[in-house]
Amino acid sequence: MIAFVPQADQLVTGADLVLALPELILVVASLVLLLLARGIRQSPVAGRVTVVAALAAGAASCWVLSRGATTGFAGMFAVDGYAQFFKVLVAAVLVVATLVARKTIAAEKIPHAEYHTLLLLAATGMMLAASSLDLLTLYLGLELMTLCSFVLVGIAVDRPASNEAAIKYFLLGSFASAILLFGISLTYGITGATDYATIAATLAERSLSESPLLFAAIGLVAAGLAFKIAAVPFHAWAPDAYQGALTPVAAFLASGSKAAGLAALGRVTLVAFGPEKDFVTPVLVVLAALSILVGSVLALAQTDVKRLLAYSSISHAGYALLGLIAGTPDGVSATMTYAFFYVFMTLGAFGVVIALGKRGESLDGYEGLAAQRPVTAALMLVFLLSLTGIPPTAGFAAKFVVIVAAVREGHVVLAVLAVACSVVSAFIYMRIAVLMYMKEPRQTAPARFPVALTAALALAALVTLIGGVLPGSLAQWAVSP
Amino acid sequence: MSGYPVLTVATFLPLAGAVVTLFAGGGRRARWIGLVTTLATLAVVAPLYWQFDRGSTALQFVETAEWIPEWDVAYGMGVDGISLPFILLSAVLTVLCVTVSWKAVKTREREFYAALLVAETAMIGLFAASNLFLFFVFWELMVVPMFLLIGVWGGPDRVYAAVKFLIFTLAGSVLMLVGMIALQTACDTLDFKALVLARDALGSKEQAWLFAAFLAAFAVKVPMFPVHTWLPNAHTEAPTAGSVILAGILLKMGAYGFLRVSLPILPDGVEVFRTFLLVVSVVAIVYGAYVTLVQTDVKRLIAYSSVSHMGFVTLGIFTLNQNGVEGAVLQMINHGVISAALFLCVGMIYERTHTREIADYGGVGKVAPAYASLLALFCLAAAGLPGLNSFVGELLIIGGAFETGAWFGALAIWGVALGTAYLVWLYYRVVMGATKPKLQALKLELNARELATLAPLALLAVGLGLHPETVLSFLHAPVAELLSLGAGP
Repeated sequence: MIAFVPQADQLVTGADLVLALPELILVVASLVLLLLARGIRQSPVAGRVTVVAALAAGAASCWVLSRGATTGFAGMFAVDGYAQFFKVLVAAVLVVATLVARKTIAAEKIPHAEYHTLLLLAATGMMLAASSLDLLTLYLGLELMTLCSFVLVGIAVDRPASNEAAIKYFLLGSFASAILLFGISLTYGITGATDYATIAATLAERSLSESPLLFAAIGLVAAGLAFKIAAVPFHAWAPDAYQGALTPVAAFLASGSKAAGLAALGRVTLVAFGPEKDFVTPVLVVLAALSILVGSVLALAQTDVKRLLAYSSISHAGYALLGLIAGTPDGVSATMTYAFFYVFMTLGAFGVVIALGKRGESLDGYEGLAAQRPVTAALMLVFLLSLTGIPPTAGFAAKFVVIVAAVREGHVVLAVLAVACSVVSAFIYMRIAVLMYMKEPRQTAPARFPVALTAALALAALVTLIGGVLPGSLAQWAVSP
Repeated sequence: MSGYPVLTVATFLPLAGAVVTLFAGGGRRARWIGLVTTLATLAVVAPLYWQFDRGSTALQFVETAEWIPEWDVAYGMGVDGISLPFILLSAVLTVLCVTVSWKAVKTREREFYAALLVAETAMIGLFAASNLFLFFVFWELMVVPMFLLIGVWGGPDRVYAAVKFLIFTLAGSVLMLVGMIALQTACDTLDFKALVLARDALGSKEQAWLFAAFLAAFAVKVPMFPVHTWLPNAHTEAPTAGSVILAGILLKMGAYGFLRVSLPILPDGVEVFRTFLLVVSVVAIVYGAYVTLVQTDVKRLIAYSSVSHMGFVTLGIFTLNQNGVEGAVLQMINHGVISAALFLCVGMIYERTHTREIADYGGVGKVAPAYASLLALFCLAAAGLPGLNSFVGELLIIGGAFETGAWFGALAIWGVALGTAYLVWLYYRVVMGATKPKLQALKLELNARELATLAPLALLAVGLGLHPETVLSFLHAPVAELLSLGAGP
């Protein structure tokens, strides 16, 4: 329930703040960076602070959970395995996204402190979304993430493409936020509550299945959240935003905001709207089927690699939804596994694009890369195979587990559609492999990469390969709420 | 039995070799690492030939371990009489792939030998896998090195061939992925032996759907008519080693899948599709042979002959009788030996002449007598001359086909006749007659390395022809068990 007048037991206490330690670490780090902003405009120290803060936040989320799963802030904030999983994932995204960004933001003369402040705050929003047990907390978290993302997309103020992308993203994004908020208000109107447990209890108790208002509420909330993960038909912003944004920002959006959106969708569909599964499932089926189909097919026509990866991320959002469609704890766990592996392979692929600089942004740039930079090409091949879903890479494990979830619940046709589209996307990804391995180089070899970028790529490749061979331990850790 | 996990070692030794090659294989070292690794792998698997108990139908050299317990997926290895011959053949052929590429591959040797070794891991692992998940993993793993082998080191039209190969095989195998998941959902296991016991959980209709899903994957790999169109491109454009692996082993994976998955686990599905598959097999035999006759490119000719020969294999499998199935497996081994040998022969002469057009050849016999004799041996073996290996396999298959239906047998014999025609005609055009002036100047005769590469296959062609029990003795027990488990004829 929304408490307009706080009761004694609903006041925020010190114990509550301890539960939010991971978020607090990120916020404090961002404030410190803001204070120091003038002094460290062009110094790499901001990146280091971000990495340390991210590692600390990831560790803190584990420590907080080790004290036992609980809720705080008057039941609006969860400390459980689900939240911890996504918080560690967001922390990892933050680390990798910071490491890959360094060269680009130095080259583009982006103010370091501001960039990393926004990154930290966006990550705070993601973590908050993963922990929220209340539609309002969820909204706060997602909006914090989205507002920071708008600015990040437009942060290269000298580039018209960047400004254009930011405006487009902002217009569509604020529209989507309004839709989400409208859905939340309808839900409140029907159930009299915004916290998941009460919503679920009310829905289970009163049979509202016939109420058109409820359909509208669920549909609007799902639409608002689908925008965050760029699922079709709420995907139109992604290709423009990714293409216009700096590549590290696109990488952060494609990985982090997708993970946060999936975290939110998982809890909302399974916990809050769980009793209305019969209505939630068809909505998710449509979103998943369209995302997979449209994402794969439209990627065929792209020659800009960032746009291509944007469409790829759209189709991957569809695959990730396959787990949620099942509407079971196993299914949510499958989606979590998918999100985890997807994040690393996408960051890896974007990392290679960043490493190649201007050359990496168009398909022609990959011609003959294997002859000039065999290791980089091999890494890219691993990420591409993983995105395609070929064993023994993590992408296969991820695809396997979500298709298992879908088939168990009888969605065989959807599963066949999904794998058929993965052949289409194989053609897209392998086109890059063809260019790298089977064409002669026509451009000069790319410059050497900084150590940070190499480390980030190595980490992503390691997760992609180990995750493919031994996905079991992750499956154990990916517990649904 | 040996005291160490011999199948795991045999499977992953090449992979370790591939890693070593990538990191330490600069310059000429790569091919030496490749040779040592493939020979070591051969040394690991060769003793299995003697240690294997041929009377038993149980899996042997079994290894199991936990792998992904959360998904009910285990790591399981084990061979029976049907899979062991393929493992031995894979190990032999990969050594020959290294020796034939010794001089032929001059660019990016490191990656070439690494890809070859990864392919060997996939081949041995696939035949050694005792559960469907592992089988699928190796099945997909095989695609990547083959894609690179064709696309990087292949002929002029290599990129098109590589992409076509990739898309065809993936299109088939993703349906197998769904089939595998549906099978696991219904039966709660993916172990081949356990699936046979659990198959009653599937209704007839489900079995038919599952059969269709697996058929998509297996038919592309075999390849069966009409999804064979990737094969002429891939075989023709691939480097010699790639063609050898494609023709020698990769094509057998699909047929092996029928024997391992479709026949024992989905007998009702077999019942539904059997007639269709028999007809398609015969079409492949006859149509494949006619298309082979008109080819003007040596490699393309041998590639199309594979379509016809693999038609015999699927015909034999779906006769569902002891003769037919035993003949099919034997013929898979035979074809693996002979088509590999023919591709090696073509590759060796191509290295010198740089042309694959049959019209550019003629009178090779006068300048390269040893080469001409070996080519004669392999052409006659492929044509099914009595005393050489294909004869026995084809005889068994045709015998089995006559038991199933006289027309199938009669058309298969017509296929054999056409096969003799295109092979003899090929031999006539390449070897006989006056030596072409352009060829006079070239040193066409084989050197010692090349003779040593062809010798093992020549020995196998003669040896298996004279004593087919070498392979057949492995097959009697498991094939009898397979037929007793599956749908009867």
